[in-house]
Amino acid sequence: MKKYTRIWIQLLKNSFSSTLSNRIDSASYFFGKLIRFGFFWLLIISIFNFTETFAGYSTYQVLFFFLTFNLIDILGQIFFRGIYLFSSDVRKGNFDFTLTKPVPALFLTMSRLIDLLDIIFILPIVGLLVYAGIQLPVTITIGAILVYLFLVLLATVLSFTFHVIIAAATIWSFENENFIWLYREAMTLGRLPPDIFPVLLQYILTYGIPIIVMIAYPVNALFGLLSVGDMLFAGVITLLFIAVSLVLWKIALRSYSSASS
Amino acid sequence: MYNKYFTAFHLSLSEQLTYRFNFIVGRVRNIIILLLLYYVWIELTRHTGQFASFTREELITYVFLVNILRSFIFGSQSRRIASEINDGTFSSYLTKPVNHFLHFYARELAERLVLTFTAIIEVVILSLILDLNLLVPNSISIISLFLVSLFLAHVLYYILSYCISLLAFWSREAMGPRFLFEWLLEFASGAYFPLNIVSPFFFTILQMLPFMYLIFSPAMIYLDQYSALEIIFTQILWIITSGLLAIYIWQKGLRRYTGEGI
Repeated sequence: MKKYTRIWIQLLKNSFSSTLSNRIDSASYFFGKLIRFGFFWLLIISIFNFTETFAGYSTYQVLFFFLTFNLIDILGQIFFRGIYLFSSDVRKGNFDFTLTKPVPALFLTMSRLIDLLDIIFILPIVGLLVYAGIQLPVTITIGAILVYLFLVLLATVLSFTFHVIIAAATIWSFENENFIWLYREAMTLGRLPPDIFPVLLQYILTYGIPIIVMIAYPVNALFGLLSVGDMLFAGVITLLFIAVSLVLWKIALRSYSSASS
Repeated sequence: MYNKYFTAFHLSLSEQLTYRFNFIVGRVRNIIILLLLYYVWIELTRHTGQFASFTREELITYVFLVNILRSFIFGSQSRRIASEINDGTFSSYLTKPVNHFLHFYARELAERLVLTFTAIIEVVILSLILDLNLLVPNSISIISLFLVSLFLAHVLYYILSYCISLLAFWSREAMGPRFLFEWLLEFASGAYFPLNIVSPFFFTILQMLPFMYLIFSPAMIYLDQYSALEIIFTQILWIITSGLLAIYIWQKGLRRYTGEGI
């Protein structure tokens, strides 16, 4: 664990240097993220200028869904952003260098790109989560906060498994740009309470692509709306996705034929 | 004379159809956004059948119309311009008897037509599956003015996008500003929601920018909610302003270009 932390910190330092040396790009990306966040915030606030509730939730409850989505999305971006370089590595044969290093290929594949801007961006998100949490019209217990944090951790693990599945698919298909964006776009369905979707879509988003488990479960746990059975289900589906993704990764690695040799 | 641009158009068209899997996955992404917005408006109009100044039918029509509009208006080909300036590939255009602006427009048009055609099919299929009652203007003059406004929005986007890409003459870091531009565009154009639902303060700010004349304004003409002539006049003003800016940036930029890799 110590070794991985050391490597990750070194990669973070590299990211820091890269961010500082590309100041215009970095500032633009940061403001771009702010605009994306700000406009969605504005949309939610604007909606509540015309209605009291949205799918039965109040303003701060809906904002809490939105902020939790952002938190989980950014955690995935911080720890697994290397996936964006992976298809290029596979196409050019650079993945060979990853395979020869004395570190698990999966770890290096996921963490070789860290966006410092996401780490900076997570601070206001956490601040706003605390603010929205204080404004919530329900009483929040310490137990509910702990369950929320645990489910956010599970969501990050689930996010990792999706990234592993995409990496495996990349080895087979040589292209992943749209796979990763498809995943991120699907994640955006979690920006708002899932109650707005028809039952069939809710089933798909719970059992097929468990976005509801990743985002709505932690939020509902905090609101005291999640049953113990649902919490257990979140644990089971996470274990299932870990197993499936790692098996797929191993199968994909076996079929990897270096492009350069 | 125009054969060379038709060739660029044809090549871009072939390119679009070559990477079919990527193309399909890209469209699925669009459908996800479309469905999210559709269910948001369905939820918000569930009890009263309307939201803000819109009826449910108008909001649903807006969402599905925008799916087609953004396919015809927003493009990605001009992203290449920045990378070509940065890696020196741009030099080859300086030795060819082509107009760079028109060459990339031909490429962009091919991409736009393929995506628009696909978007229309998506809207037809989804409206059948979801049993939608999408509104169609009942006046030829509204349809004509909408089409004029749509074409102007298409041209305005291309010029704005071209200007942003030309920033690569000054900096190797042109992709960041482009990212910023694209997200500003997504929201400030009304591609996610009708802009007049935001507070008057924000709406006034948005009115001062050219972006709302790309999606929101043509859609409002279609829904017969705004004065078409006023919108078209403003679009023309923005096209002239951004066109002059593009010429200025192009002339200044060419003087700075060092032809990396030569």
